[in-house]
Amino acid sequence: MAAGDLVLTGLMAVLLVGIAALLTRIENWRSYTPLAGGGTATGETVVHREKPAGIVRWLTTVDHKDIGLLYGVYAVIAFAVGGIMAMLIRLQLVTPGGALLGANAYNSILTSHGITMLFLFGTPIIAAFANYFIPLLIGADDMAFPRINAIAFWLLPPAALLIWAGFFLAPVTENMIEPAQTAWTMYTPLSVEQTNPGVDLMLLGLHLSGVAATMGAINFIATVFTERAEEVTWANLDIFSWTILTQSALILFAFPLLGSAIVMLLLDRNLATTFFAVEGGGPLLWQHLFWFFGHPEVYILVLPPMGLVSLILPKFAGRKLFGFKFVVYSTLAIGVLSFGVWAHHMFSTGMDPRLRASFMAVSLAIAIPSAVKTFNWITTMWNGRLRLTSPMLFCIGFISNFIIGGVTGVFLAAIPVDLVLHDTYYVVGHFHYIVMGAIGFAAFAGIYYWFPVFTGRMYQRTLGKAHFWLSMIGTNVTFFAMLALGYLGMPRRYATYQFDGAIAPLAQVQTYHLLATVGAVLLFVGQLIFVWNVVQSWLEGPKVEDGDPWDLERDGMLDREFQWFDRKLETAVTDGGEDEEQSALTGARSDD
Amino acid sequence: MALFGFEKDTLLDLTVNVIPLGIILFFIAAFAVVPAFGTDPVFTGMQFALMISMFLLLAVLTYYAGRAIEGAEQEQESLEEASAVNEPEGEVTGLEDGDDAEAELDDASADGDDE
Ligand code: HEM
Ligand SMILES: [Cu+2]
Repeated sequence: MAAGDLVLTGLMAVLLVGIAALLTRIENWRSYTPLAGGGTATGETVVHREKPAGIVRWLTTVDHKDIGLLYGVYAVIAFAVGGIMAMLIRLQLVTPGGALLGANAYNSILTSHGITMLFLFGTPIIAAFANYFIPLLIGADDMAFPRINAIAFWLLPPAALLIWAGFFLAPVTENMIEPAQTAWTMYTPLSVEQTNPGVDLMLLGLHLSGVAATMGAINFIATVFTERAEEVTWANLDIFSWTILTQSALILFAFPLLGSAIVMLLLDRNLATTFFAVEGGGPLLWQHLFWFFGHPEVYILVLPPMGLVSLILPKFAGRKLFGFKFVVYSTLAIGVLSFGVWAHHMFSTGMDPRLRASFMAVSLAIAIPSAVKTFNWITTMWNGRLRLTSPMLFCIGFISNFIIGGVTGVFLAAIPVDLVLHDTYYVVGHFHYIVMGAIGFAAFAGIYYWFPVFTGRMYQRTLGKAHFWLSMIGTNVTFFAMLALGYLGMPRRYATYQFDGAIAPLAQVQTYHLLATVGAVLLFVGQLIFVWNVVQSWLEGPKVEDGDPWDLERDGMLDREFQWFDRKLETAVTDGGEDEEQSALTGARSDD
Repeated sequence: MALFGFEKDTLLDLTVNVIPLGIILFFIAAFAVVPAFGTDPVFTGMQFALMISMFLLLAVLTYYAGRAIEGAEQEQESLEEASAVNEPEGEVTGLEDGDDAEAELDDASADGDDE
């Protein structure tokens, strides 16, 4: 029977590949180049028409820089929402009985925290950098499909509203529609059996965000392949573009699968199909589909941040990135292998042990390309002329946190270890070292590094450093405590932990929970400083007059985006005219 | 030395992906020699299919990426040689077009202005 299924699957695959091949023969997709791109062959950005003023500009823009800023603002708002949810979770767990929330409220907030941070903060903040800087870095006039770019962004606000819908609707519908309580993994049968319509809304929102991510990915692939300036070749393409290219390929294969799985789940919930029912496909089918998306998703989130660090770190080490090609090839390796490890999230489900062993093998193999990068970053700093600016501090913090996150990941990839630690706080510690300690840190590094470019101003350095140290200490206190909690056997996703002291040392567990909360408070204060710093500096910071604010010329490391910035400053000075390309606030203030 | 037609430098760069390939190969061999959980046509089949397909995909992608990068590099070198003073591309050398190695991957660099 199983063999028959396999044969059918194989035939289906052959059929699909055949169709794809056929389509590539009859369609000349290059002919769809949109007219909206604008620009000339000189590689300079040219704005054809003046942008409308005020809010209309932001609603109608197809300029990649504007869209990048929109993504950035969106992501920071989502980060704030997800962060407040995280604080609620941490405050709740200060006492074993739960300090603030009922079990349902806790589950709702936990679910939304995960989904918000991964899909509404993580993916968009990366898209923010990619939109703003990829065209500048590769010397393109704009993205290949500017309007698709705009649509992809504008799908996200409705996605967020749907994902959070339960929170808005519960009070007005007398809890008929509640926030989803499925956890971000939406495991069946739980997610099928919860009749709450809020789950359907959340699923639709998630689907929408997947559509947006896929459109963005297609756009980036097309842009990097076809819009590069003539002198940008595969040999000198910058590292951030490489990681975005790989990430986009991963999105292209992973997100449509999530979308299909979500549709199947919606059908199971609403039309009584049996995709994930015991008598149908079985509950494990969901886990396989979800993690076939889910593991690539974690690399979708971490590859571009690795690219950011690989781009920024050398600038403040005064040395070229050590082993640039190593980083490129290992990025590609991660891209491929990440599709062959998904069942390491399912080691304890009772799947066939032979199959399980092969997933372990590939999971151990994928650790190598990640480790290679770490050594490259360290070697880049070796004997370098380090300048500990805020972006550099965050890059170094990234490396440190990524090492802990990566090493704990390798432990989890070993089946015997995982059987002990699965579904404990150890796993939570592992992935937060990466999603907060690495991805978050790289995002901060990028924001500080390019702050002069997109605001025309400088941030406040002391506040930047305070932000770094609070984040670094906060991250390590919080998530190291979680690793310890995992060793003590504390299961994840519990609203309370009033267990029998004979099972595990309750007093110690409580202490570590308390520590984790203290760390979270430090983190939270750090982020308040960050928001203050960004907003205040954007409005009132000293104007940057030098096109090379980081003094990169000296090491010959002034990349295209800063050259573009320099040209922009110069033209603004010499002809004294209106600069249409001014970023949001500067533009609004000086021109209107 | 021209293993798979790569230059020595490129081969050295590619070693980074040879290591994960080696790890996968090791496990393929180990599981073949010691089938600790017995064999079963379907599950053993899937077990090896996963590892072998990952091995092949990684090998193929590494090969083509190496090709693309090496091609672009040689391109650049010949450009630089042709124009000793490094004048703007194409002005004297006339080489900016018709570079086939790159054109394969990037047939659009020249026609970005077809509006
Ligand atoms: C160095 C390579 C890595 C390895 C070998 C690895 C391994 C693992 C394993 C085996 C688990 C499952 C643990 C369990 O549930 O019992 C896991 C969970 C997780 N990992 Fe990693 N990991 C790695 C890197 C990453 C990266 C880069 C990210 C994020 C960008 C990440 C994010 C996650 C997440 C989100 C989970 C938890 C999923 C859930 O159950 O909710 N991991 N990792
Ligand atoms: Cu994984």
